[in-house]
Amino acid sequence: MARDNAISAELTRLTAPVSRRLRLSAGLTVLAEVLWLPQAALLAWGLAGLAIGEDVALGWIALGFAALGVLRALLGLAASSGAEAAADAVIADTRVTLLARADRRAPEAAAPSSAATAALLVDKVEMLRPYLLRWHPVRARVAAVPLLILAVSFAISWSAGLILAISGPVIPMFMALIGLAARDASQRQMDEITDLNALMLDRIGALVDIRLLGARQTMLDDFTTRADRLRGRTMKVLRIAFLSGAVLELFAALGVAMMAVFVGFTLLGALNFGVWGRSLGVGEGIFLLLLAPAFFQPLRDMAAAWHDRIAAQAVARDLLADAADPAPAILGPGGGAKVLAGAISTEGLLLRGRAMPDLAIARGEGVALTGPSGAGKTALLLALAGLLPSEGAVRIDGQPLTDRNADAWRAGLALIPQKPHFMDASLRDNLTSGRDYDEAAIAEALRLARAHSLVARLPEGLATRLGEGGAGVSGGEARRLTIARAALLRPAVILADEPTADLDDRTAEAVVEGLLSLHRAGATLIAASHDPRLIDALPRRIEVAP
Amino acid sequence: MSPLLTIARLIWRDQRRAMLRGFGLSVAVALAGIMLLALSGWFIVAAGIAGLAGVGATFDVFRPSAGIRFLAMARTGSRYAERLATHDATLKALAGLRVRLMDGLSRADFATQSRLRGGQALNRLTADVDALDGLAIRLIFPLLSLAVAALSVVVGLWLLVAPSVALWVSGATVAGAALVLAWTGNAALAPSSGAEARRQALRAGAVDHLRGRAWLTVSGRLPGARQAVLDEDRGARAAALAQARVEHRATAALQISGAVVMAGTLWLAGSLAVDGQITAPQAALAIFAALAMGELSLALQRGIAELGRMSTSATRILPLLDQPAEAIPATGGTPGLRLTGLSVAPAAGLPPVITAFDLHVAPGETVALKGISGRGKTSLLNAIAGLTPAEGLIQRGGSLGYLTQRPALVGGSLRDALRMGLPSASDQEMRAVLACCQLDLPLDHRLGEGGAGLSGGQARRLALARVLIRRPAIVLLDEPTEGLDASTAAAVLQGIRDWLPDAAILIAGHRLAEFRFADREVDLDGLD
Repeated sequence: MARDNAISAELTRLTAPVSRRLRLSAGLTVLAEVLWLPQAALLAWGLAGLAIGEDVALGWIALGFAALGVLRALLGLAASSGAEAAADAVIADTRVTLLARADRRAPEAAAPSSAATAALLVDKVEMLRPYLLRWHPVRARVAAVPLLILAVSFAISWSAGLILAISGPVIPMFMALIGLAARDASQRQMDEITDLNALMLDRIGALVDIRLLGARQTMLDDFTTRADRLRGRTMKVLRIAFLSGAVLELFAALGVAMMAVFVGFTLLGALNFGVWGRSLGVGEGIFLLLLAPAFFQPLRDMAAAWHDRIAAQAVARDLLADAADPAPAILGPGGGAKVLAGAISTEGLLLRGRAMPDLAIARGEGVALTGPSGAGKTALLLALAGLLPSEGAVRIDGQPLTDRNADAWRAGLALIPQKPHFMDASLRDNLTSGRDYDEAAIAEALRLARAHSLVARLPEGLATRLGEGGAGVSGGEARRLTIARAALLRPAVILADEPTADLDDRTAEAVVEGLLSLHRAGATLIAASHDPRLIDALPRRIEVAP
Repeated sequence: MSPLLTIARLIWRDQRRAMLRGFGLSVAVALAGIMLLALSGWFIVAAGIAGLAGVGATFDVFRPSAGIRFLAMARTGSRYAERLATHDATLKALAGLRVRLMDGLSRADFATQSRLRGGQALNRLTADVDALDGLAIRLIFPLLSLAVAALSVVVGLWLLVAPSVALWVSGATVAGAALVLAWTGNAALAPSSGAEARRQALRAGAVDHLRGRAWLTVSGRLPGARQAVLDEDRGARAAALAQARVEHRATAALQISGAVVMAGTLWLAGSLAVDGQITAPQAALAIFAALAMGELSLALQRGIAELGRMSTSATRILPLLDQPAEAIPATGGTPGLRLTGLSVAPAAGLPPVITAFDLHVAPGETVALKGISGRGKTSLLNAIAGLTPAEGLIQRGGSLGYLTQRPALVGGSLRDALRMGLPSASDQEMRAVLACCQLDLPLDHRLGEGGAGLSGGQARRLALARVLIRRPAIVLLDEPTEGLDASTAAAVLQGIRDWLPDAAILIAGHRLAEFRFADREVDLDGLD
C-alpha cells in the first residue's frame, strides 16, 4: 500500500509541471463529450417531428448536427494535441534528470547495466505518453459525463434515471471489476510477448552455432512447441480475465436494452409511471435512448485504457528504484579543465568494505599493485581517478581530491581499463578523445603501442567506425589501441588495470614495452597486475591484501 | 504498403482457421451492434406513433422487445467469444511470424548472423516484429468486419428502407474510412519511419554514452557528450510529435466523417419520410444504423494510428523472411583436412590476412595454429567451416565440427543443448560426452537465457560437448580451453582425443596446454 502511494506520488510529481495543461486538455475532452447531448437533442427533435408529422426544418437540424460533430472532433483534436505536448514535456524532463544521474554513476559492477538504463530512458519512459493521452482524460470523463447524463435522464424521467443508476451503478464496484479484468489481461499479454521475444532473441543470438550444428529444423520445431505452450497458458488466463470485461459489456448492453424497452412501453401507454406525472414525448424518448450508450462509453473506454495506467505505474516504479540506487557518483562534473599534476597519497581508503593500504607515490614513479583477484585493485585505481568516491582521502600534492579539482586531476590522467571500451565513432575520434593532434603524433603513438599494422589493415584506416562496443577489433588489438590512446595524451599519470590479461605472449610483451616507454618519458605509472613480466619491470610493488 | 499486405497475407495463410474464426466473430459482433441500435430506434419511433394514434394496445411490443433483449445478450456473448478468438489468432500469428523470421535468418549469411549478436541489431528486430503484432487485431479484423457490415447494411437498408439511404449510409462511411486510411498511409509514412529511426539512434546513443562514461569522464567530455544525447532526444521527440499529429488528425477526420454521414442520413431519410416514401420508423432505423456504422469505423482509429509504424517495420522485416540458402562448400577428396593455396580475409571485401596457405591434417592427427592475436587464426577456421569466403582449395574428408571463439548457448536443459547437436542422442551418450569434457552436471540442469547460470569455462565445455556428440570427422577448435585451469585444460583435450580417436583436429590457441597436446604446430607469424 505504501509502495502504491509512493508510485502515485511519483506520477503526480512527474506530471506536476504540466498539470495545468493536462487539466485544460481533460476539460476539453469532457466538453467534447458533453456536446453529444445537444447533438442527441437535435436528432431526437428531428425524428420526433417525423413521427408526429410536424413540419421541422430537417435541413437545419442536419446541418446543426454536423456542425456540432465537427466542433466535437476539433475539441478532441485540441485536447489530444495539448496532452501530447504535455507528455512530450514530461518525457523530456524525465530523460534529462535520468541521464544526468545515470552517467555520473561510478562505473562499477553494482550500478544498473547501461542497457537497462537506456531501455528505461528511451522505451519505458515513452509509456508515460499513452498514460497522459488516454488514461488522464478518460478519468475526467468518468468523473463528469455519466453523472451529467444521469442528472439529465432523471430530470426527464426518474425511472429512466433509475435504469441507468441500477445498471451502471455502484461505479466503484464497476471500476474494481474493470481493474481486475483489464490488469490481468494486459499483464498476461505483455508477459506473453516478452517471453516469446526472449525465446526468439536467445535463438537469434545463437544462429551461427545453430547453423554449424545443422540444427535449424530442430530449433524451429522446438521454438514452435514452446510458443504453443505459452499461448495455451495465456489463453487459459484470458478466458477468465475477459469474463469480467464481458460482465461490464453485459451491464452496458442490458442498460441500453432496458432503456429502449422502457421508453417504447411508456410511449405506447403501457407504462405510465416515472415521468414526473406527465406523459413522455416521442422526442424525449429518443433522446433518452441516445443518451444511454453515452452513459456507459466512458466506463468502457476506461477499461480499454487501464493497461496504460499499469504501464505508467511500472515506469514510475522503475524511476523510483533508479533514484534510490545507492551507487555513488563520480567526483566532479566530468568536464574539461586545466591539468593538475602531483604526487599521489591516500589515507584510510575503504573500498567496498575493504581497507586499502595507504599509498605515497611520487611524480614519475612506477608502481605495480599486486594481490589476488577480488582484493580491490580495480576499485583502488578507480578511486585514484576520482571515479569511485570512498571513505578516507586521495590527495594530490597534499590537497584532497574533491568535486572541485577532480576534473583538473583527470585532465592529466590516462586510464587503461581491463575491458577497453570504444565509443561508436571513428577510430581517430576514439584515439584522440576529441582533441586535435597532428597525423605524425597519431602515427607515433600507434607505433609505440605496436598498433600501426592493425590500423593499416582496417578498410578505412583511422576513419573506420569501430561500431557497437568496439566490434571489429579483437581483445588484444583493443588493448594495444588503448595504449596508443594513452600515449597520444602524453599523460602525467597512467593508471593501468591488468593491461596484459588474456593476451598471448608476443602481444603482452609489446604492451608492457609500450607502457614502460611512456613511463620512461616521465609519466607516473600505476599498474594493477598479476603478470610477472610487468611486475618485475617496475621498480616498486605494493601488495593489496584481501 | 505492399510489404504490409504481403505480411498480412502470410499471416492469413499460416493461421487460416484461427483467422477465419476471429473474422467471423468480429462480423457477428458488428452486425449484432448495428441491429441492436437500428431495432431500438425503429421500435421507439414506431411505439411513439402507435401511442399517439391510440392503437398502443394492438401494437406488437413483445417481438421487438424480445429482439432487443436477445441482441443485447448476443452482442455481449459474441463480443466475449470474439475477444478470445482474435487474441488466439493474434498469439498464433505472433508466434508464426517469429518462426518465419528465424527460419529466414537461419539461412542468412555469416556476416548477417554475426551482426545479429549485437544488442542494437536485436533491439531493432524486436521493435519491428513487435510493431507487427497488432496487425491482425487492430487492422485486419476491424477493416474486414467494417467491409462486411457495410455490405450487410446496404442489403438490409435497401430492403427495409430505401436504396438511396442504403447506398449513402454504407458508401459514405466506407468512403470516409478509406479516405482517412489512404491519407494517413501516405502522410504517416515518413514521420513514422523517421520517429522509429530516431528512437533507435537515441537508444544506441544512450547505451554508448553510458558504457563509455568512465572514458568520457577521464577525457573531460561527459557534459558535452550528455548534451549530444539530449540533442538526439530532442530530434527523436520532434519526430514522435510529427507522427502523433498525423494520428490525432486521422481520429478527428474519422469523427467528422461519422458526423457528416449521420447528418446526411437524417436529411435524406427524413426527406423521404416527409414525402411519404418511407415511414418515420424506417427513417429512424436508418439513422440508428448509421450511428452504429460510425462507431465501427472509429474502431479503426488504433490501427490507423499504427499504420505508418507497421508498414515501415514490414518493409524491413519482409526481406529477412526469405533469405536464399547459402551454398556449403563441398566435402570429399582425401581423408582428413587438406588446404591448398588458401587465401583468407576476415570478411568479404577486406584484404586477405593469410595467403597461399597449405596444410594437411591427417585423420587422428592434431595440429595447433600459433600466431599473434589478430594474425588470422579465427578467420582461417571460419573459412574452413565455410562461414567466410576464401580463395583456394578446401578438401574435407568428412563431417565437420567447429567450436567457435564465442559459442552461444540457448536457454533450456543440458539435454536440450546436446539434442541441438544430435537430436537422436541417448542419455547414456550424453553423459559420456559430458564426462569427456569434464563437465559433471545432471542432464536436467536448467540454463537461463544465453546459457546463463554456467561459468565461462562450463559454458565452453558444454558448447564443446555439443560439437563432439555429432562425432565429426574434422574438428576445428578456437581456443578450446579458454577460462580453464591447466589440469582441467589438459584433461579436456585428452577427452576430445579419446572420444574421437580418428578425427583430424585443428586448434587455434595460445595456451601452453594446447600446444603440448598437439602433434605439431604451424606458426602463422612465420608465413609470408
